Amino acid sequence: MNKQIRKYSPILFLPVFLAFLIVFLIPFFLGIYLSFTEFTTVSDAVFVGFKNYLSVFTNSGDFLNSLWFTVRFAVISVLSINIFAFALALILTRNIRGRNIYRTVFFMPNLIGGIVLGYIWQLIINGVLYNYGYSILSNPDFGFLGLVILMNWQMIGYMMIIYIAGLQNVPHEQIEAAKVDGASNTRILFKITIPAVMPSITICLFLTLTNAFKLFDQNLALTAGAPARQTEMLALNIYNTFYGRVGAEGIGQAKAVIFSLLVAVIALLQLYLTRRKEYEN
Amino acid sequence: MKKTLSCILACLLMTLSAFSLAACTQKDDAAGVYFLNFKPESAKTYEKIADDYYKEKGVKVKVVTAAANTYEQTLKSEIAKKNAPTIFQINGPIGYNNWKNYCADLKDTKLYSYLSDKNLAIREGDGVYGIPYVVEAYGIIYNKEITDRYFALKNRQTQVNSMDEVNKYNKLRILVEDMTKHKKDLGIDGVFASTSMLSGEDWRWQTHLMNIPLYYEFAENEQYDDPTVAGLNTTDITFKYADKFKNIFDLYINNSTTQKTLLGSKSVADSMAEFALGKAAMVQNGTWGYSQIADVKGNKVKAENVKFLPIYLGIDGEENQGLCVGTENYFAINKKASAEQQKASLDFLEWLYGSEKGKKYVSEELGFTTPFNTFTEKETPNDPLAKETVRWMNKEKINTIPWIFTAFPSENFKTELGSLLLGYAQGSNTWDEVKAGAIKFWKSER
Amino acid sequence: MEKRRPFINIILTVILIALSAVFIAPVFIVLLNSFKSKFSISQTPFVLPNNDTFVAFQNYITGINDTGFLSAFGWSLFVTVLSVAVIVIFTSMAAWYIVRSGGRFAKLTYYLFVFSMIVPFQMVMFTMSKLANSLGLDTPLGLVFIYLGFGAGLSVFMFVGFVKSIPLSIEEAATIDGCNPMQIFYHVVFPILKPTTVTVAILNTMWIWNDYLLPYLVIGTDYKTLPIAVQYLKGGYGSVDMGAMMAVLVLSILPVVVFYLFAQKYIISGVAAGAVKG
Repeated sequence: MNKQIRKYSPILFLPVFLAFLIVFLIPFFLGIYLSFTEFTTVSDAVFVGFKNYLSVFTNSGDFLNSLWFTVRFAVISVLSINIFAFALALILTRNIRGRNIYRTVFFMPNLIGGIVLGYIWQLIINGVLYNYGYSILSNPDFGFLGLVILMNWQMIGYMMIIYIAGLQNVPHEQIEAAKVDGASNTRILFKITIPAVMPSITICLFLTLTNAFKLFDQNLALTAGAPARQTEMLALNIYNTFYGRVGAEGIGQAKAVIFSLLVAVIALLQLYLTRRKEYEN
Repeated sequence: MKKTLSCILACLLMTLSAFSLAACTQKDDAAGVYFLNFKPESAKTYEKIADDYYKEKGVKVKVVTAAANTYEQTLKSEIAKKNAPTIFQINGPIGYNNWKNYCADLKDTKLYSYLSDKNLAIREGDGVYGIPYVVEAYGIIYNKEITDRYFALKNRQTQVNSMDEVNKYNKLRILVEDMTKHKKDLGIDGVFASTSMLSGEDWRWQTHLMNIPLYYEFAENEQYDDPTVAGLNTTDITFKYADKFKNIFDLYINNSTTQKTLLGSKSVADSMAEFALGKAAMVQNGTWGYSQIADVKGNKVKAENVKFLPIYLGIDGEENQGLCVGTENYFAINKKASAEQQKASLDFLEWLYGSEKGKKYVSEELGFTTPFNTFTEKETPNDPLAKETVRWMNKEKINTIPWIFTAFPSENFKTELGSLLLGYAQGSNTWDEVKAGAIKFWKSER
Repeated sequence: MEKRRPFINIILTVILIALSAVFIAPVFIVLLNSFKSKFSISQTPFVLPNNDTFVAFQNYITGINDTGFLSAFGWSLFVTVLSVAVIVIFTSMAAWYIVRSGGRFAKLTYYLFVFSMIVPFQMVMFTMSKLANSLGLDTPLGLVFIYLGFGAGLSVFMFVGFVKSIPLSIEEAATIDGCNPMQIFYHVVFPILKPTTVTVAILNTMWIWNDYLLPYLVIGTDYKTLPIAVQYLKGGYGSVDMGAMMAVLVLSILPVVVFYLFAQKYIISGVAAGAVKG
């Protein structure tokens, strides 16, 4: 059977592999190589060693600023999204009338694209701030807050759906038994419910964390990094380094490599930590 | 339900096949002209011109317009492509330095022969690499109807009796501040339209306004006759006239239609709309701005009342200062395009600036005052700002200020300066930091 | 506990209704403003249109004309539908191949697929768009191929997870009946995969329909998809027409919402299923 299948690899496997090779693998390794060179088009690359990596940190503080902004954003939005989503999931797994309608409503923003979301919230936040004589660009904190609100609005419904699926698998008998033993609701939540939905928590943390770090469209549409690049997240910072000026492509690619490493390390670390928790239970 | 579903599917399939057809056929512009346009406000006109050119000559001209303030980015990603732009533009000597490898030598072209003053072109050695195609002027645009209304006020506190008397900063300041006091009587929200500081919309300040103090600084450099050349050779500016820059900038933001904290969300279009709707009496902008004023729906400004005033900063001798006149728009032809493409591109430009039909488009719809000898006096745009420019240039003893900002070290320098000015307007940094930053970034970006 | 339930449920219902209003409000406000004249939007977005500010469908006309909305909509539809179809067909086969062929090379690529899910797009943004351009992939059809490559990670991962749970005996029975692998896949395996197929199709549709940077870099100057058209409105004509912007926002949300209301059952269960697999 194995051999039979292998004979058909040109149809079964090759198309995907070819596409993957051309749009991901080759560009990925080419990207690593180019981060050690100076170039404007791929063909004129000159090897410069670690110079680009040094420039990322020494040239100006923009990368570190973006990094700090992104980390703060990720921590706050990951926490708030997951707490809200989990709470909503708890409510919506109760026997409440019309819960499917609420579920439909809360999930809806997730289908709207990042660019469109950005402009929707720009309108609303500016409309509110205008009453106090500000706009979203008056102060980087407004942009930060705006991004957090936007991200919450977009992702809560999605995460809620995942938590609901997880909560439906919580063993009912165990909860009933605990109640009979006189355990408080909080105790049941922390000792039975949360351990049982640990797989959902793993996936939700993974999705929110990676999405928060990679955020681009929403950032571009809401503030585009203004004022003075102070609300520029990592992905946008890299984009601006590449296309914003001539001669910084190598630095941009070096930033991209650092960014990829960072996201990979954080994602794997989070998966490792929460998975370990899953097995402990 | 099944029926609607199959109906939807059928419609889907039809659109899909229609688009697949288009997807296969639209990629035939390999030998055509590809013009990467810099001016978003002219985007629609250029598309019309391209259509017309295709009808007349059968040559396809693909026009792509870069969004505001993204020209360098767009050019950078486009020029490395297989079907790269064949006509692009550089913004002066600094731009030429960046795009040197792509600029074809134009010295033997008809287009270059059209140029009335050959000194205006960007040259290096024997070669000609950039040809300017429009001469523009900027200053303070004012609505004469509103200023007249002010001069007619009985309780005004100033000795200034007409706009013709305003010839230096102090007079302008007194006038503006008293107008602010009477803004209710005048029916305006503020004397100046919003000082737009939205990112990408702050070029009127970090580029155009900054031109003036640095022009005076470079003009004092005795080593060079030409202030632009002096600027190009300066690594350390002193920003000697920083406090003069502050004079006018303060006047703009303190007598504005908009609170200082909101300036960061304003665009150029916002401020032109305020002017057009009669909510502001003055706005700093250039000849290209008239179409923006005229196009606003509900426009309350009459063409004959749109006037120019030079931008006075309080520098000695500014009574003789005129408008800022120059260009930052130079055509370049992509050297790496095929010979046929280069020729087709030049043919197109020569048609646009040499043929009757093309010239009509240039003067009437694009509204360009050109530096080409193919245009007669009648073929200049007759919008009020173009006329005002001529009026100011013909005044005796008045000297225009050239556009020396083509010598600014980089786009990044301007962006950083813009952020500092925004910070100053919003109160998050001081004027000293603006000054120090301008000096620092000039050096680091050079 | 049992006795208190009705009271708590009333409180919770009130909270839920309030929250639903908060979730719908932004879209509603945009809809409202799309009927106001462009200068009365940005400073007073929460005011209803009145006689002075109501412009009927003026903004929609400007928006549709300025952005080339119809062609952008068409290209978005073209790219999304075709890409999702191609992704579903080819990645399901590849996943089956990876699990059943037992080859070491296939296994290695599987790990690479999984790895590619984590890597941010910025890492390959520049090199990929260069390569795509020099290989002539900078057309809508080429874009479909590119989406196959980028969609492979998640889709193969999910299909592999499901294929592993299919008992081998079913396929062996078909082999004995004399089917070749292609027939086995299409007659036996693919129908079993259906729940995952729905999930993969939905997740990819949500991603591709809304994707901005990739199509912008690859085909953005020649063909505009919806997100590119919306973004272009911001600076493409030298000024932001807030009215046209609102209209275009409404027009780009509308089809998504309609589609969602029709297919919400599949979408929500698909998304939930996708997460459980991960």
